[in-house]
Amino acid sequence: MELSHQMESKDRQVQLSTKQGLPEELPSLLKCIVSKTVAGFDSVECSGMNYPTQLVTLPSPQEDPTVGKGLEAAKLHGQANVIFGPPPSSPVEATDCHQPHAISFSMPASPSGLHISQAAKVIFIDKAGPTAIDGQLNQPSDSDTVNSQQPKQEKFHSQPIPTGNSYGKATGGKVSDPFESQLRISRNDNQRDKRFDSFKTWSGKLERQLSNLRGKPQEPDLEANDCHSAETETVPAVDRYFDALEGPELDTLRATEVSVLPEDKKWPFLLRFPISSFGMCLGVSSQAILWKTLAISPSMSFLHVSLTVNFILWCISLALMATISLIYSLKIIFYFETVRREYHHPIRVNFFFAPWIACLFLVLGLPPSVAVNIHAALWYVCMAPIFCLELKIYGQWMSGGQRRLSKVANPSNHLSIVGNFVGALLGASMGLKEGPIFFFAVGLAHYTVLFVTLYQRLPTNETLPKDLHPVFFLFVAAPSVACMAWAKINGDFDYGSRIAYFIAMFLYASLAVRINFFRGFRFSLAWWAYTFPMTGASVATIRYSMEVTNVLTRSLSVGLSAISTLTVTALLVFTIIHAFILHDLFPNDISIAITWKRPKFNKKLAHLRSASSDMKDIEASLPKNNPELEL
Amino acid sequence: MEERELQNPHHPQLQIITTISSPPNLDATAEEDPSKLSILTRFHAGYFRISLSLCGQALLWKTLSEPTTDAHALRPVVRMLPSAAFVMLWSLALFTLVALCLLYAVRCLFRFRSVRAEFAHHVGVNYLFAPWISWLLLLQSTPFLRPHTKSYLLLCWFFSLPILALDIKIYGQWFTKGKKFLSMVANPTSQITVIGNLVGARAAAQMGWRESAVCMFSLGIAHYLVLFVTLYQRFLGSDSLPAMLRPVFFLFFAAPSMASLAWDSISSSFDTSCKMLFFLSLFLFASVVSRPALFKRSMRRFSVAWWAYSFPLSILALAATEYAQEVKAQTANLLMLVLSLLSVAVTLILMVFTALRPNDLLPHDDPFLCSNLIRH
Repeated sequence: MELSHQMESKDRQVQLSTKQGLPEELPSLLKCIVSKTVAGFDSVECSGMNYPTQLVTLPSPQEDPTVGKGLEAAKLHGQANVIFGPPPSSPVEATDCHQPHAISFSMPASPSGLHISQAAKVIFIDKAGPTAIDGQLNQPSDSDTVNSQQPKQEKFHSQPIPTGNSYGKATGGKVSDPFESQLRISRNDNQRDKRFDSFKTWSGKLERQLSNLRGKPQEPDLEANDCHSAETETVPAVDRYFDALEGPELDTLRATEVSVLPEDKKWPFLLRFPISSFGMCLGVSSQAILWKTLAISPSMSFLHVSLTVNFILWCISLALMATISLIYSLKIIFYFETVRREYHHPIRVNFFFAPWIACLFLVLGLPPSVAVNIHAALWYVCMAPIFCLELKIYGQWMSGGQRRLSKVANPSNHLSIVGNFVGALLGASMGLKEGPIFFFAVGLAHYTVLFVTLYQRLPTNETLPKDLHPVFFLFVAAPSVACMAWAKINGDFDYGSRIAYFIAMFLYASLAVRINFFRGFRFSLAWWAYTFPMTGASVATIRYSMEVTNVLTRSLSVGLSAISTLTVTALLVFTIIHAFILHDLFPNDISIAITWKRPKFNKKLAHLRSASSDMKDIEASLPKNNPELEL
Repeated sequence: MEERELQNPHHPQLQIITTISSPPNLDATAEEDPSKLSILTRFHAGYFRISLSLCGQALLWKTLSEPTTDAHALRPVVRMLPSAAFVMLWSLALFTLVALCLLYAVRCLFRFRSVRAEFAHHVGVNYLFAPWISWLLLLQSTPFLRPHTKSYLLLCWFFSLPILALDIKIYGQWFTKGKKFLSMVANPTSQITVIGNLVGARAAAQMGWRESAVCMFSLGIAHYLVLFVTLYQRFLGSDSLPAMLRPVFFLFFAAPSMASLAWDSISSSFDTSCKMLFFLSLFLFASVVSRPALFKRSMRRFSVAWWAYSFPLSILALAATEYAQEVKAQTANLLMLVLSLLSVAVTLILMVFTALRPNDLLPHDDPFLCSNLIRH
C-alpha cells in the first residue's frame, strides 16, 4: 500500500514537471527519474530533448577508440541504443548548433569499461563539461543542488538547466581545455566507483578515511557531500524481496525489475561474497564428523577407517572456516550496508546461523589427537550468538507483521532450527545437562511449527519453489540431528530417538526417489549447505547401527556414507570448475541490489530493452522541448 | 463502520475495527447515568484477569512459603514475610473473585444478549474460562483446606465441569463450525482455554485422581500443539488482536509453564519433559520481553488489559520454583527468586494503579467494549 502511494505521489510530481516543462521544473523531473536509478532513461530524455537529430550512434565515435570499445560492449549485450555525443577530447565548438548543453559520451578513456544501464543506454553526461567552458563558477553550485537530491548510486545525470546558463557563455567561443577534459576523465573514473557507496559502510566514508590515512590524494569534493540521499538507507521491506526476486533461493531478478548496481560489470569481490559461502564450511566440517564417526564406531570397525582422514578433513575445514570468516568480516567492516541487506533477505537470513553451526561442527569433529576434553565455556561462546539470532527470528515469526511465518516459511528456515539440535548434541557430549535440554526444547517446539507450515505449503507462502531443489534436503537435517541429540541427552538410543531417526529416513527416501527433479538448477555456493543433511543422516544411521547391529543397518550406513562423500566430492569438482575455469564462482549478487521501490517506468524499460526504435517512444513521452534550452 | 459491523457481526476483523474506533456515544444516555446498568454493559469477562492475577499470586506465595529441605534455597528470605500477608492476599483474591462473579452473574441476568455476543467474540469467549481457573487456583492455594477432604473434592469437580463443557463447545467449533475455524479465530488469548485444562489437570492430580488428570492434560496438550503452530504461523497477521490487547502476548509463556507444572503434579517429579516445557516458556519469555516495541501502544493508557501481565509471570515463577526444587543449583534458585520478585512487583504495581485510577478500568474506549455487542 505504502509503495503504491509513494509511487502515485512521484507520478504526480513527474506529471507536473512534464506538463509545465519549465526550466525550473526539469531538475525535479530528473531527480524523480534518477532516484529510480534508471540512468539510461534519465540521460536519454535529456539528450533526446536536446538533440533530436543526434541519435546517430555510429559515425561520430569511431575516431575515439574508447568509445569503440563501448560500441562493442553494447553489441555484446545486443542493445545498440548507444548515444554518443562528441568525444570529450574534441573541442567544444561554439559554432556547432547541435552542441549539447550536456555532453554525452561513452566511458571515455576509462579503464573500468563501459557502463551500460539496464536499458543498455550509454549515457554519461559530463557534468563538468560546462565547467570547462565557463569556469568553475556555475557548475559546483548547480551540481550540488541537483546532486543533493539524488541517490548515491547515480552520479551521472543530465543537467540541461545549469548548462543552459553556461551555454550562453559557451557561445562565447571558448574551447575546452584538453587538460581539463583529462581532469574530468580522471574524476569520472573515481566517481564511477561511487556507485557502490551506498553498499559500503557509512556510505563509503570509511573507505575515504582509510585512503586518507594511507596518504592518497583527496578526491575533489564536488560530490563529497552528495546524496544525503532522499532515499534513506533503509533496507527494502520483505515484500520487496518477494516482488523483485524469484527462484528457490530468491536470487534471480525478475524481468520487470532493475538492479541498483550495474549488472554487466563485475562488482567488487567483497560485494559478491554472500553469507551462503559458509555453506562450504558446513559441508566440509560435517564430512570430518562423518569420518570420525566411521573411525571410532564399534559397529563400523570392519571398515578399518583410520583417524587420519578425519584429521585431514578437520584441518581443511578449520582453514576454510578461518578464511571465509576473515573475508566475511572484511565485508562487514567495509560493506556493512550490504550485510544489512543480506540480513533482511528472507532466505539469506537463515545462513547467518551457518558460521556458528560450522563452529559447533568443528568442535564435534575435533580429532581425538588434538584434544579430548573441551572446556564448557566454548559451548556457551558458540551458543550465545545462536541464542540471540533465534530470539530475533522466532520472535519475528511470532509477533507477525511482515515477516510472519505463513509468509516467509521456506526450507532454508531449517538452518535456524538445526542449530539448536547441534548445540544440544555438542553440549550433551561435553557433559552439560541443562543447557542441551534447553536448546533441544526450543528447537523441538519451533521445528514442529516449521514442519507443519512447510508441509502445508500454505497459499500465502511465496518462497517455496515449485520444483524440487537441493534446498529440500534440509528437511532431513533436523530429525537426524535431533535423534542423535536426544540419544546423547538420555544416554541411550530410546524410542524418542528412534522415532526421530525413522522420520529422517523417510524424508530422505522420499527425496531420493525424486532425484530426477533435482536437475536443471544453476550451481551456487549455497549447495554446499545442503550436503550436511545427507552427512547427518549417515552419522545418525551409524549411531543407529551401534544400537541395532545387523547387516542391513551396516550396509545402510556404508551406503549413505558413500553417497554423502560422493556428493561432496562432486560439489568440490563443480566448485573448482566454476572457480578456476569458468570464473563465476562468485557472480554478481543480484539479490542484495534490488531497488528500494519498484521501478516506476518498468514498462518503458521493457520498451527500451527491445529495439532502437523505442528511442522515439521515449522522445514522444518526454516533455516538450523548452525553447530556452534548445538552441 | 457501525453499519458494516451490523451486517457482519461475527466477522472478527470488522468487529475489531469498530471496537477501536467506536465513538463513546453508544450509551450516551447510560453514561450520563452512572448506574449499575452502565457498569454492567461495560463489564465483560476480561475483567477476570484481575482475579486470575491475584489468585495466581496467592498460589505463588503459598508455594514459596512451603517448607523445603534444601539448605541452599533462598526461601528463608521469603519465609521472613509474615504469614498474615499471605492470608490477606488470599482474602483479597477471594473477595475480588466473589465480587466479579456476582457482577457477572447479574450481567447474565440483565444483559444476557451481551453475554451471548461475548460468547460469539473470538477474544471474549476465551475469558469465559477465567473465572473457573481463578476458582481452581484459589482452591489450590487455600490455607485451610487440605487436598484430600470431601469439600475440596466437591469444589474441584464443581469448578472443573464448566471447563470441560466449554472445552467441548469451543474446541469443537475450531474444526467443525464454518465461521469459527481455528485459522480464523486463533489469537493469543485462545491459550487461556489450554491453561484452563492444565489447571484442572493439576488440581485433579493433587487430589490423587490421576486418570482425570491425565485426561485433562492430554486435552490441553493436544490443543496446545495445534494452537501453538497456528499462532506461530500468524495466518491472519496482526489482525486478530487489537493493539490495546498486546499484553496478552504474555500468555505465550504462561501455557508451557502451566503444562510443566501439570505434568510435574501428574508424574510427581520434575522430569525431562517438565524441564523442556519450562525451558520453552523461559525462551518465549525472553523473546516477548526483548520486544518492548510490541507493547508500546498498549502502554499509553492504563486499562484492564494491563492485568494480563501478572498472571503469566506468577505461573512462570511457580514453574521456576519447582525447577529449582528439582535441580538444586545456584542459578536455578537465583532464577526462581528473580522471577518471583518480578511477578510480585508487577502485581503490586498493578494494584497501585488500580487503586489510583479506578476510572481507567472502565474506560469509554475500552477495545473490548461490549456496548457494540449490545446491538445484537
